[in-house]
Amino acid sequence: MRYLRLAGIFWAASAAARMEYRAAFAVSLVAAVVETAGKLFGVYLFYSNGYDLGGWRWQEALLVLGFAQLVDAFFILLFQPNLRRISEMVQDGTLDFVLLKPVDGQFWMSVQQVGVVGFPYLVTALALLLFAGSASGLPAGGWGLLGVAAVAAVLLGYAVAFLLATTSIWFVKIFNVVYFLSSMIWSAQYPVQAYARPFRLFMTFVLPVYFMTTAPAELALGRAQASWAWALFAVALGFFLLSRAFWRFALRYYSSASS
Amino acid sequence: MSALTAKMRTLLSVYYAYMLEYRAEIVFWVLGGLVPFFFMAAWSEAARQGHTAYTPGEYERYFFAVFIARQLAIVWANWTFSDWVRTGKLSFHLLQPLDPAWRILADHAAERGVRLPMLALIGLVFALLFPGALVWPGWAPLLLGLAASTLAFLLSFLVAYSVGLLSFWFEDATEIFELWYVLMLFFSGMLAPLSLYPEAVQRAVYYTPFPHLVYLPASYWSGLEPADPRGFAVLGFWALVFFAVARLLWRAGRRRFSAMGA
Repeated sequence: MRYLRLAGIFWAASAAARMEYRAAFAVSLVAAVVETAGKLFGVYLFYSNGYDLGGWRWQEALLVLGFAQLVDAFFILLFQPNLRRISEMVQDGTLDFVLLKPVDGQFWMSVQQVGVVGFPYLVTALALLLFAGSASGLPAGGWGLLGVAAVAAVLLGYAVAFLLATTSIWFVKIFNVVYFLSSMIWSAQYPVQAYARPFRLFMTFVLPVYFMTTAPAELALGRAQASWAWALFAVALGFFLLSRAFWRFALRYYSSASS
Repeated sequence: MSALTAKMRTLLSVYYAYMLEYRAEIVFWVLGGLVPFFFMAAWSEAARQGHTAYTPGEYERYFFAVFIARQLAIVWANWTFSDWVRTGKLSFHLLQPLDPAWRILADHAAERGVRLPMLALIGLVFALLFPGALVWPGWAPLLLGLAASTLAFLLSFLVAYSVGLLSFWFEDATEIFELWYVLMLFFSGMLAPLSLYPEAVQRAVYYTPFPHLVYLPASYWSGLEPADPRGFAVLGFWALVFFAVARLLWRAGRRRFSAMGA
C-alpha cells in the first residue's frame, strides 16, 4: 500500500516535470498513431501476399501485434526512463543515495520516472487489443485470460529488462541493452509460427519474446493446447524472482563512488 | 579549405578514440539493428510455403542488404545537438572558429569506423548460417550502392541536424525525429521488398525520400529488382532542401540561444 502511494507520488512529479516539454508530447501522439498504422500495414502486406503467418486468422494475428505494442508501450513509459538511470547512477556514483533510502532499492529504481510520451502508445495498444479481441470473437473467459496474460507479459518484459540493466553495475555504460530489448519486441510482433524454425526456437528459449506476445494471444484465443503458452506465468514469475536475486547479488559488487 | 580538412582530420581521430571507448555500447546498438533478419525469417518462411514472388535465398540476400544499408545510415545528430542546447554545452562549441555541424559529422563518420568491423563479423556469421545467400554483386552495383547509401546517410544526417536545431525553440525536439524514423521504417522496404507493396502506396511515396533511403542501395547490392537510378535525384533533391533548412534554422536559432550565461 505504501509502495502504491509512493509510486503515485513519483509519477505525478515526474509527469509534471515532463509536461514542460509539451511539443514532444504532441509529436508523440502523432508518432504513436503513425507507428500503429504502419504495423497494421506490415501485417496487411503478409495477408495480401497470401501468407497467413503460420496459420493465424488476421484478427488473431492483430492480437499478437497488440500484445507487442503493449509491452513496447511499457518500455517507453517505464522501463527505458528508469532503467537507463541505473547506468547513469553507477557512472556518477549517485546510486549510493538510492540505496540509503528507506525503500526497496529495486522498487525505487524501477518506478521513479515515467515517460509520458509512452501514453499514446499505451492507448493505441489497448485499442488494438480491444479491436482484435472482439474481431476474433473472444468469449468472456478469453477476455479474462487476456487481462491476466497481459499483466504477466508486461511483468516478464520488465524482469528481462531489469536483469540486463543490472549488469551495468559491472559494465557501467550499457544503456543500449534496453534499446536492444525493445527492438527485439519489434521482431516479435508476428506470431512465432510465422518464422522459420531456428528463429522460433531462438524467440522462445534464448530471448523469451514468444512469452510476451504470441503466448498471451494463444491463451486468450484458447489455442494453447500442445504449446508452451501456459508456461508464461511460470516464466514471468521466475524471471521476476531472478531479477530480484540478481539485483541483490550485483549490489555486493557495487563499490560506491568513494569506497 | 585546407584548414578545414586539417580540423576534420583531428576531429575524426578524436571521435574515433571516443567511440572505441564505448565499443560495448556499439555492440548492443548493432544487435538492436538485427530486426530486418526477423522480417527475413517471416518472408522466407512464406516463400518456402510458396506464397510470394521470390525464393527464400532472394529474401535472405535482400534483407541482409537492408540490414547493411540501415546500419550505414544511422544518425543521432538530433539527440547530440538537442543535448548541447539543453545543457548549455553549445556555448563552448560556439567559441570555436568552426561550425559545430562539422563536429557532429565527424562524430558520425568516426563511429562508422568502429561499426564496420562489427558489420563484417555479422556478415561472416550470416554467410555461415545461410550458405549461398550472399553473392558478389559486382563492382559497379557495389559502388553505386555505396554511393546511394552515402547520399542516404547525408540526407538522414541533415534531417536529424535540422530537428536538433529546432531545440532552440522547443527545448526537447528529439521526438520529432521519431516521426521521420517511423516513416522510414515502414516505407523504406524494411517490412518487405517495396515491390510487394500495393501499387498505390508505391506511387504515393515515390517522390518522398523514404522509399530510396534503404531500398535503393539494397536493390543495387541484392539485385532483387533492378535499381531505379532516379532515386539518386530524389535523394539529392531532398538533401538540398534539408541543407537549406538547416542553414536557415542555424541562422535564426543562434540568436535565440541564451543558455548558461551566454
